[in-house]
Amino acid sequence: MLRRIVISWLLAAMALHAVAHTRPHYGGTLRIEIEGDPWQRPDGLARRLVLDGLTAMSPDGSVQPALAVEWKSENDDHRWQFRLRAGVHFHDGTGLNAGNVVAALTAICGAGCPWTSVRAVGSSVVFLGDAPLPNLPQLLAEDEFRIALSGAERSTAPAGSIGTGPFQFASLSNGVLTLAANESCWQGRPFLDSLEIHPHRSIRDQWLDLSVGRADLVEVPAEQLRQGHEQRLNLVVSTPISLLALTVSDSGALGNPNLRAAIALAVDRSALSNVIFQKQGEITASLLPAEVTGYSFLFSTERDLNKAHELRGGVSPPTLTLVAEAGPVMQLAAQRIALNLHDAGFTVQVANAGAPQHVDLTLKRITLESSEPGPALESVMRRAGLATPVLEQKPAGLYKVERETLDTRIVIPLLYLPRAYGVGGRVRDLRLGFDGTPQLDGVSLEDEP
Amino acid sequence: MMKPIKGWGMVLGLAGLLMGLAANGAVAPDQWEQPAAALAEQIAGILGPGQARLTIRNNSSIATGEIPAIRRLLEQDLKAHGVMASGEESANAIRVTLSENLRERLWVAEIVEGNETRVAMVHVERETTVTSVTPDQIVLRNERIFTSQSNYPILAAIETNSGIIVLYPEKIITYVLNSTGSREQDRFAIPDRQTRKRDPRGVLLSADRGRYFTAIVPGVECTGTYSIPADPNAAYADGSAHCHDSDDPWPIADPGSPNGGPKIKAFYNAARNYFTGVVTPSLGVDLPPFYTAALLPRPDGAGLLINGIDGKVQLVENGALKTVAGTRDWGSDFAALHSGCGAGTQITASGSGEAVTDSLRAYELPALEAVPASAPLSMDGTVTALWSAPDGKSVFAIVRKAAGQGKPDSYEVDRVTANCN
Repeated sequence: MLRRIVISWLLAAMALHAVAHTRPHYGGTLRIEIEGDPWQRPDGLARRLVLDGLTAMSPDGSVQPALAVEWKSENDDHRWQFRLRAGVHFHDGTGLNAGNVVAALTAICGAGCPWTSVRAVGSSVVFLGDAPLPNLPQLLAEDEFRIALSGAERSTAPAGSIGTGPFQFASLSNGVLTLAANESCWQGRPFLDSLEIHPHRSIRDQWLDLSVGRADLVEVPAEQLRQGHEQRLNLVVSTPISLLALTVSDSGALGNPNLRAAIALAVDRSALSNVIFQKQGEITASLLPAEVTGYSFLFSTERDLNKAHELRGGVSPPTLTLVAEAGPVMQLAAQRIALNLHDAGFTVQVANAGAPQHVDLTLKRITLESSEPGPALESVMRRAGLATPVLEQKPAGLYKVERETLDTRIVIPLLYLPRAYGVGGRVRDLRLGFDGTPQLDGVSLEDEP
Repeated sequence: MMKPIKGWGMVLGLAGLLMGLAANGAVAPDQWEQPAAALAEQIAGILGPGQARLTIRNNSSIATGEIPAIRRLLEQDLKAHGVMASGEESANAIRVTLSENLRERLWVAEIVEGNETRVAMVHVERETTVTSVTPDQIVLRNERIFTSQSNYPILAAIETNSGIIVLYPEKIITYVLNSTGSREQDRFAIPDRQTRKRDPRGVLLSADRGRYFTAIVPGVECTGTYSIPADPNAAYADGSAHCHDSDDPWPIADPGSPNGGPKIKAFYNAARNYFTGVVTPSLGVDLPPFYTAALLPRPDGAGLLINGIDGKVQLVENGALKTVAGTRDWGSDFAALHSGCGAGTQITASGSGEAVTDSLRAYELPALEAVPASAPLSMDGTVTALWSAPDGKSVFAIVRKAAGQGKPDSYEVDRVTANCN
């Protein structure tokens, strides 16, 4: 009887609490758990929340104004001028100006920037390039070019964490990073009061915390999406946006293009997709997905061991070293690829990342940053280690560039994978950006205000 | 990145497919003539005169029924360039793939000569698709009066004699409406006094069918005039607007509605998305912060219905604040609708939750309980603003339509009226 009364009371309390509203309300703390480091580059979650770029990617993957309100190019894209938004302040109150933007960009890439020089001209930032920079506005929207206040070492915040974004560093305690709402954010104050980011949590622990209400947002790797569905997680899944690719050294044993071509033909993408990634990826042999170009079917994904043997021509190269970016699944994928290559007569040793020896093959993930084919191709190529500006913008020209790039076999596209997150019941309006990252500045909670 | 077509979109898509099937064997639409000609020219340029096997694969959203017509166009155009596409025995092959990406269609030809394959391609602008909503007892009916061509949020809109004035966060634009859609006629910038808002809101008031208007957004008030051009095709209207910084309270509770009662204004929290609870003139009771308010005729005069930021709906009546029951399904937007049916005035409320397809429903408040007076009216998107028309006989709704993951939202203005059953 007592039990029935308690249950009735609980139900009544829940009903009283179930007040309705659709407009997002302010307040609350969102608890996020991640496997990696929130400040890692690129794509660290905290970086995206704290720092803005001169430009940004809209949800459809096209470039839009951010800290710069307009831009123009001259001299066949050799010179670009970006006019800064007025009235923007860094989290410590320092006003945004062209000088501190130039200092930030210089600190990011120094002499290795895509442009030749950058300087402040009044309220504008001017970029000059020895080569044309046709995709500079899109490039500046990428994570690595976010603007942090340089020379703010006296601050209690970690270096490179004072930006103009919707959240600002508040504290780091017992490994938990707390970010607070930026009340004077130029984009408007976010709905949340704060975020708690718990880094370095295993996926298993993340899911457990989500299930008992200790976390609001957790990661769901592509290979565990099926498991997430089976466990009835509330999932938010992006389109396949993360390219799994093998980059191949063109020096040492693999300086021979036929050997690189043999490697490209020996990789079994279907097995990678089916076994390692649980059929959650899209097999690809092109750098850009079909949704962006429409012509990716022109690149064959077929495995052809006979042709691979033929191309190897009986040559037995020394043992090749394959390194995978961090993560147990990437290691598994690397081992699978090593087996594939063994079938074609190669001997491959899978090594840990950071190993001092010469690396012949690297398995990496590259996130697609834009839906505009030209900038997207340039971005993917740059992240694959091919720093070549893509001047073409029309499909036929872009196809030619991509074909010529892939024919070198220096980069071998394998799969496009989605990004996914498990979301707690009190989280509202969570959307993913074009690159599959959660847009937390627009999120609100069902908490009492 | 493609989003499956749902609801009415699916119905229309199916209708399109059926129409496409019915058109099998008919003349291809004009839209395919140009790309077919351009692709044939490129193919002929690569292959030169002669014979080739032509195959066509459709990887796009073009209806299957249109493929034979496209094939005929290609064959004709190839023939004009000396390429006979019927050579089944030919060693040469032309593999045409009708493809598409997020932005455009792409027709790709792989021209195979022996061991060599060369590629030609043309891109084709995508035609836009049109969706519609249907009315559904009191019966609420929905009419779309304006669709935004951009993804900027619409905050409010008012109808003029010949068109519509639309309030966006940073501008006011007047449009002429005609049978084919809308044409921009004039625009006025709103000074960027404040930072952007996450959930932007504003008020647009008019007099003399839009001849005079007042637009209010956080921190700024603009007053303007708008002269309806004698020639509806005139490129520009004779209008002006003057804006100034303002922290004055915003008019709420359906000013100008026929429900009577005082003209009530409320102070808006410019850094948030709600009213502070301070209203003028004072109603003799402290109000909590609220999102929305509407003035309702009550037995003892008028009552102010408010939707608090805690989700509670309360009625301010005779200097007292009373909780209204039966509002669990309400969202945070509502407006009074003077339908003349039933009690005469109903509250039209948006639905609660995060549904991609929101709804509106009419309620009556015979006591302190909201009683449904109509079936829910599906709105084909999320209702982001709702207000009464100046005559109170209809309500206007801003509907945000989510285009899908990774795509920007679009906005439309709908007029909702009621028919007595």
